[in-house]
Order: sequence, then C-alpha cells, then structure tokens
Amino acid sequence: MSTPAEFSRMSPLMMKLFENSREAIFFFDRTGRALAMNPAAEEIVSEDVMMKLYQGSENALCGTCRGYTSDTEQRTCLDCYMKMPDSEGHTSFQVYLETRNKGVVPYAGSFHVVDPEDGTRVFMLRDLTPQLRVQERLYQNKMMRHVIEAQENERKRLSRELHDSVAQELMSAVIDLRVLKYMTDDETVLKKVKQTEASMTRLLDDIRNLSVELRPAALDDFGLEAAFRSHFKRVEESYGLVVEFSSGLARKRYPSDIETVIYRICQEAVLNALKYAQVDTVSVHLFERGGMIRLEVEDEGEGFEAGSDPIGTGLGLYGMRERAELAGGTLSVRSEPGIGTKVLVQIPMPEFQEKE
Amino acid sequence: MMGTHADYQRELDAIRHSRGYDFLALALVEPAEEQYVIRWKHAAGNRNERFRRIVLKSGKGIAGIVFKTGKSVFIPSVREYVGADSLFNYPIVQSEKLESLGAVPLWNEARVVGVLLGGFREENRMTPELMRDLERSARAGIGDLDGREVASS
Repeated sequence: MSTPAEFSRMSPLMMKLFENSREAIFFFDRTGRALAMNPAAEEIVSEDVMMKLYQGSENALCGTCRGYTSDTEQRTCLDCYMKMPDSEGHTSFQVYLETRNKGVVPYAGSFHVVDPEDGTRVFMLRDLTPQLRVQERLYQNKMMRHVIEAQENERKRLSRELHDSVAQELMSAVIDLRVLKYMTDDETVLKKVKQTEASMTRLLDDIRNLSVELRPAALDDFGLEAAFRSHFKRVEESYGLVVEFSSGLARKRYPSDIETVIYRICQEAVLNALKYAQVDTVSVHLFERGGMIRLEVEDEGEGFEAGSDPIGTGLGLYGMRERAELAGGTLSVRSEPGIGTKVLVQIPMPEFQEKE
Repeated sequence: MMGTHADYQRELDAIRHSRGYDFLALALVEPAEEQYVIRWKHAAGNRNERFRRIVLKSGKGIAGIVFKTGKSVFIPSVREYVGADSLFNYPIVQSEKLESLGAVPLWNEARVVGVLLGGFREENRMTPELMRDLERSARAGIGDLDGREVASS
C-alpha cells in the first residue's frame, strides 16, 4: 500500500497521465455509465455518443464500437467485453472503434475493474494502426513471394510437360505419317496425308509456343542470354517490335530465382514499351557492375509524367518493383513525355546478398 | 506471271484514296516451306514499318481469323469489340492505332490466300456499306489473285 506521502506525489503524476496520455482512457461505473474520459478518448467518440456515455444510456459505447476480435472471429459482439469485465479473455484484446475523424481504427483494448467495491471499471485503448500496417506489409511480402514462386513452379511444370511429353508424342505421330507417305501410290490418300501432316506440324508448333510462353525451357537450360534472344525474336515476329539486345554478363548462369526475376521484369518492361511507347525499337542492356546485375530497358517513345494516371492498370510497374525487391534489388523508372522511358533494375549478385 | 510489288501497291493506294481509308493492307499466306504463316505484304497509309515484321499463324490476329474462317470481320469500334486487355492479340490494330476496321478474305482458285484490311484511326468510320465495297474489291481480285471463291471450270 502506498503511504500518504507517496500518494500525494503520485496523484499529480496520475492526473498528467490521464490528461496527456495518447492512450484513450474511459472510466465506467457498475451500470456502464461513463464517469470520466481523458482528452484522447474524447477525440475518438462523436459528441452524441459522448453524451449518451455520460448519461449512462444502455449500450452507449455500441455507438462507436465496431466489435472486438475473439478467438474465432475478426470482429464480433459475442460475449461483449462491456458485459463481462472480469473475464480473463478481456484483459487485452483487439477492438475496432468508429472514430470521429479517422474512420474505423483498430485498437489494443483492455477492460477491467479497478475498484471492486464501487465496481468502477477502466477501458483503455491504444491505437494499433502502425503496428498492423507493418505487420500487413510483412505478410504481404511473404505472400507475394510465395505466390510468385508457386506461379513459376507451376508454369515450369506445365511447360516441361508440354515440351517433353505432349510435343514428343505428337512428333512421333508426325514421323509415322511421313512413313505412311511411302506406303501408298494412291494420290487422294497422299494428298490427305500431306494435309494432315501440315496441320499436325502446325499443332506441334502451337504446343511448343505455348510451352515457351509459359516459361522458356531455355531459361532453365541455357540461362538468361539464350532465353532473351529467343524471346525477343518472338516479340519481333508477334508485334513487329525490334529489340536491340546487348549483353555483357560475366557469367553464363546465375541462381535460378535471380534469372527468373530479371527475365520476368524485362519481359514486362518490353511489353510496356510495346503497349505504350509507340516505338519501333527498344534497347535492352544486361551487364554486371559493382556486384550488381543491371538490366536497362530503354525506348525513345512517348514517355509519361511520373505519378500521372496510368493508361493501363498500373499494376505492371508495381509487380516489377515487387519482384525486384523480393530478390533484394531495386527498380527505377525514368520517363519524360516526348523523350522516352528507361527502366533500370539492379539485383545484387548472390555473393553480395545478405544471407537470410 | 506474278504481279510485282509496285502493281499491288498501286492498287492498294487507289482503293485507299477513293474510299478514304486511313490504312489499307494486304496479308498473304506464305508457302508450305514457311509453315503457311501469314505476313502483311503490302500496305498503304501505314504509320511505321512494324507491320512488315509481324508473322501470324492461322487463327491468330485479325488476318489469321479471316484466313482461317474465310469470313469477313467487321469491327466498327475497336474499343468495344476488343477492349484494352486483349488488344495485343491484334498487333496490327495496335501498331497502326486503328479504331475502326474491316477485313475480308481474298480468294484465289477457290482457296483463301490472303486478307485485305481497311481501317480508320477514328471510331465508327467503318460502315456496312464500306464492308460490302471492300468485299467487292477483294472479289474483283488484286494483283494476279483472281478473287474467285469457286474454281473456274
């Protein structure tokens, strides 16, 4: 127990805590009528809710409370903390309040009896928004990494399956057809066989294209340069866009995840140039400098104003940056209307990357 | 006797001027050794040279669809018909910034051998009348392609 002297020293401190704390503090009596609120608390509740709280109207707090997080639900009113102040579960919990200025805000709340004789309870709230935001970002990063990895693996599997199994089977059927041509002199049969061979060859081509579009086997088997060269050739054939590619990589191969990141970012950047820059050519440079693998994708096209409304979804750039950051790298985009756009990606080389 | 490049070009220019197309192009199918791919061979009113590099397979792109089905394609509004997301399935529409277009098959000896495309860089300029006119032009034949859907006996 505090001595009277200690108590008289404590009292002003307690008053200061009450007046100036950023934590919202409410005192309630046994019936649920508000006895006092500190300024932080008054900032949260709207005026008519505050009035009702002081009048002790039933469920006055419900005017601002949007439920608390229980074991089973994100937001619930089941077993409301106001009704059972002594329950173990309510010493600390997450609660959502409709605030006066900031909309619904998550708080860490605690609700308990501080004076068992009079039944006085205290309800304290601490704003959780920053913590939750950090947590959410960390969680998002983690999820994004998993999603990208899962997507790549699944693409790799499908692509391999198409290339190694479906295309192979079809190839041997085409060869059988070729053999068939020497087994008959019947002109009509020969003509039909030739037509069938042509359409099967086309089908084979389609399957190979599909496989490469999903994920180029060249990326896994021969590395970045080979994969880029065949990709750019396809871009030229599909869209008529010429990609001037120069590579100064010191090594043939890098860890698979780094190769994937660079390949996908470049793919997206070239596609962006194709979609929006209105140019005939794009240049791509790939090289190493200062322990970094650098990728530059540059066009002399229409360009855009940084921060202006995107023509597309705006998600492409976001995804590129996300991928670069997942590999510990950075992505920067410089663009000027009428001059062009340059995308620069830098990924630290594996030996310079921090070990996780 | 093969029609020369200049012949085709002259015919395209003439159609483009008389009908007011912003862009008029002719795609032809390549022979078997080129796997029957389709390429835009001749164009009038093009913005750039990208169309020359585009290689289409049967069923891909505007020309590929017309080639495969042997039916005309009429797109009064690219925006409504295609939508921004799938614009890249139609490279020529994108590289030439077409907003309104029509494409008709070009026959030779009862086979589709090419595609004639007329387009505008403004919406709703391609009309049913222009479509019929374009089909007539294709049926009349271009260069040394006879334009006949039924073999002459």
